[in-house]
Amino acid sequence: MAVRQLSETVINRIAAGEVIERPASVVKELVENALDAGASRIEVVTAAGGKTLMRVSDDGAGMTAADLALAVERHCTSKLTEGDLMDIRTLGFRGEALPSIGAVARLTIATRNAEEPHGWEITVDGGEKGEVAPSALNRGTRVEVRDLFFATPARLKFLKTDRAETAAITEVVKRIALAHPHVRFSLSGPDRRQPLDFPAATGPDARLARIGQVLGSDFVDNAMAIEAEREGVRLTGFAGLPTYHRANALQQFFFVNGRPVRDKLLLGALRGAYADVLARDRHPIVVLDLDLDPHQVDVNVHPAKADVRFRDSQLVRGLMVGAIKRALVEAGHRASSTGGREALDFARPNGVDPRTGGWQGGNAQAAPARPWSGGYAAPRHVPSRPSGDAQDWRLSAFRPLHGEGASGVEVLEETAQDAGAFGFAESQAPFAGFDATSADTRADAMPVDAGLQAHPLGAARAQLHANYIVAQTEDGLVIVDQHAAHERLVYERLKDALAAKGVASQMLLIPEVVELAQEDVERLLDRADELAECGLVLESFGPGAVAVRETPALLGDTDIRGLVRDIADDIADMSEATRLRERLDHVAATMACHGSVRSGRRLRPEEMNALLREMEATPLSGQCNHGRPTWIELKLADIEKLFGRR
Amino acid sequence: MKATLERTDLLKSLTHVHRVVERRNTIPILSNVLIRADGGELRLKATDLDLEISETVPALVEAPGATTVPAHMLYEIVRKLPEGSQVVMETSSDQATLEIRAGRSRFALQMLPESDFPDLTAGDFSHSFEVAAADFRKLIDRTQFAISTEETRYYLNGIYFHTVESPNGARFRAVATDGHRLAQAEVAAPGGAVGMPGIIVPRKTVGEIQKLLDEPEANVAIELSETKIRLTTGPVVLTSKLIDGTFPDYGRVIPQGNDKELQVERAEFEKAVDRVSTISSERGRAVKLAMSEGRMVLTVNNPDSGSATEELVVDYDAEPIEIGFNSRYLLDIANQLTSETAIFRLADAGSPTLVQNSGADDTLYVLMPMRV
Repeated sequence: MAVRQLSETVINRIAAGEVIERPASVVKELVENALDAGASRIEVVTAAGGKTLMRVSDDGAGMTAADLALAVERHCTSKLTEGDLMDIRTLGFRGEALPSIGAVARLTIATRNAEEPHGWEITVDGGEKGEVAPSALNRGTRVEVRDLFFATPARLKFLKTDRAETAAITEVVKRIALAHPHVRFSLSGPDRRQPLDFPAATGPDARLARIGQVLGSDFVDNAMAIEAEREGVRLTGFAGLPTYHRANALQQFFFVNGRPVRDKLLLGALRGAYADVLARDRHPIVVLDLDLDPHQVDVNVHPAKADVRFRDSQLVRGLMVGAIKRALVEAGHRASSTGGREALDFARPNGVDPRTGGWQGGNAQAAPARPWSGGYAAPRHVPSRPSGDAQDWRLSAFRPLHGEGASGVEVLEETAQDAGAFGFAESQAPFAGFDATSADTRADAMPVDAGLQAHPLGAARAQLHANYIVAQTEDGLVIVDQHAAHERLVYERLKDALAAKGVASQMLLIPEVVELAQEDVERLLDRADELAECGLVLESFGPGAVAVRETPALLGDTDIRGLVRDIADDIADMSEATRLRERLDHVAATMACHGSVRSGRRLRPEEMNALLREMEATPLSGQCNHGRPTWIELKLADIEKLFGRR
Repeated sequence: MKATLERTDLLKSLTHVHRVVERRNTIPILSNVLIRADGGELRLKATDLDLEISETVPALVEAPGATTVPAHMLYEIVRKLPEGSQVVMETSSDQATLEIRAGRSRFALQMLPESDFPDLTAGDFSHSFEVAAADFRKLIDRTQFAISTEETRYYLNGIYFHTVESPNGARFRAVATDGHRLAQAEVAAPGGAVGMPGIIVPRKTVGEIQKLLDEPEANVAIELSETKIRLTTGPVVLTSKLIDGTFPDYGRVIPQGNDKELQVERAEFEKAVDRVSTISSERGRAVKLAMSEGRMVLTVNNPDSGSATEELVVDYDAEPIEIGFNSRYLLDIANQLTSETAIFRLADAGSPTLVQNSGADDTLYVLMPMRV
């Protein structure tokens, strides 16, 4: 077959495939254009997930008739000063978006520049460019894209359902909106039930206000402000508390000079920063802006511009890990506020008639339990020993018939469970009074020290279910999971010891030769010093292999090849050897788990108070090693609301 | 099939055989023990496809035949039968169950056909020889502790048996290592063993052999090929696959020129290590040995809890040296030594150390230091 030059239309359609992948990419390009035009209000309308219609209107600068005719031509842009790809200050610059869209859809652009007496309009239909014609329009630009991919049916077939495409468009708009709080965004159309509207936010807290609009106020309550600057690179934004995490990484927003990006380096740095406080499969929520000299970053990596390259990637990485870690330490024992709120939501007696069921368990309903009715067999009254003992009310509480039903009040936990298992509830009842109560009341005996209550975690008042410490603060109550809390404290101590003392290494009798790709070998050898600090000593062993001479003694008889390969992959992926540290920390975490106070252990009031004070003093004690909160707080005001007092 | 036999005999054999059977199996027949009654004896056989143990028991066979029944269940039944009772095993007429009767107890176990039972014994053996059970047991006992449990280095998951030439004639040698320490033991090579291929006997097989060799006077007949070993002692026949891998050239890591010699009272040393390592809580916590003329100071430092020091009088006159070891490994080796005095041959803090019994000896241990 003879070689021939492809027609302009086909070239454009092929090129369009790179920039325009799905309706959401059209919206992204158009909205970015609007922002580059200096718009303060951007309106997006879509229909059928953008497949039939996408319309983006702005009140930006607009174009003159001559510009308009050129704008739909390939590689025509107003945004790049001649030839300087090093200095990119606008979102777009490649001059590809409009011709690409025009090549695969029916594109209509109406625009009016201040210099023009009236607006102009142009239509491009599957690559067929129409004439520039006058049009009635106020200042700004309106771009309308109909029948996307009608010219490339193959691509059309690969689109997802309308709903999925609608959701993707929403994501794109949210992402951009996060970076531009001063611009009003609205998103509507027949394909969405609820139009989205982010009014322009002003003032110093504009950013936070916009984040609240986009991500919800929960994030705002659980966010730590991040601010750091080093060598001209500035990192600002907000990072979520470790206890406020998600199962996926969708809610991680990075902006480099205002451009939304999803970059491996940044994601890796984020993971590194949170490695210690989150389980591997949980993800923090962040909104972070990186501002740096445009010369220091290359955004011209991919047409969609989601990837970027930093000239000094180690600096960026270090800045980010450092800033977030510092914020985490400063946040100290702060735990997610949603914990307390969720507990309140559970406790709220939704539609339960107080006179019939559901309320019986009320007298000690302090633990964050499941809804009251759930898991309860019909409560029955247990006769208690007749006495005037002040603590006796606890014994006369209602108790569940079945052991496993005891999700709420377990005042008579142990006896109830034994009895339930054998079905001899009645015969056990007379002994019930002699058994210790599950709610350890010894803390009551202590006079409550007002000084203790002034501490953030308050004064310990009781231990429930032999695992939950209930403490009273000046304006609420705090519930602490003693095992999770103590585990974290022990873990922090072990880690400190590890860091202070260094990692002991076991030398190998027979060096383990690990064969790897040559680039992996080089990556590993580049970091040999860093690895040696962690107890892994390796050296070059000819081309494509390293010889491991020493391994961290803590790991024992371990799979050396697997470890070295994992580390090499980590360095390749995220340019940091996190895996080795993680493995060591994991051993520390396991030891911490074994070496900490288990649930089920009764604590004396002094012990409880000591634990609370230590939590306040230890950084990162607000969550366990897996990102679960170690404590939650219920505000007095909230509790009063529960009882209808407010 | 119908056979009658003494409970005691049956239990003893079942005890040997049933251990091979894994508790959980994906292939149902592997949960079973094969029972074959023929010519005045009952042969029991169990396998996990890598290891097979079979054993014969005298029995009164009324109707020859063979079948398979769940091994662990049969073992539990026989174990719980009254002592001294006679056990009758008989297959039902429809060949569906095996009935076991003793006294007034009756059990009926579901059977699987004998023809499905895998057979490991096929194949030829290139070498065969006999060795005293006590000798073979010694080779295993002295080296077993050093077998690696790390499965990625499968070739270290067993004991390496082979023969070597030495000034005292041919030696039959066992070596095991986990990459941190190495143990080597040897006996005079029995006739027929010379020239045998080097074989790696898997950890599980080693453990079973150890349990079978409880009568020191007995002899063990060993047959082997590149891929299999068969071991016969009394009525028991054990057949095992070997680890298909190359054992490292261990000779290179046994230090020859370590010139600093240390002699220490073994029991005292073991106790001292044990005492000072109380302080350490982590796995792999190091104990530091500081040697100077006539004395050794053992130190453990644990920043969490404190430190421990103990001083021992030793026979040492080389220049002072400090070296760290994993206390667990030191204890393991001290445990293995048999003489009253242990000899350490050291080079420096980063090189392997040789540990031996005093006097002419056929075991040696190599230990790699820790860097602390």
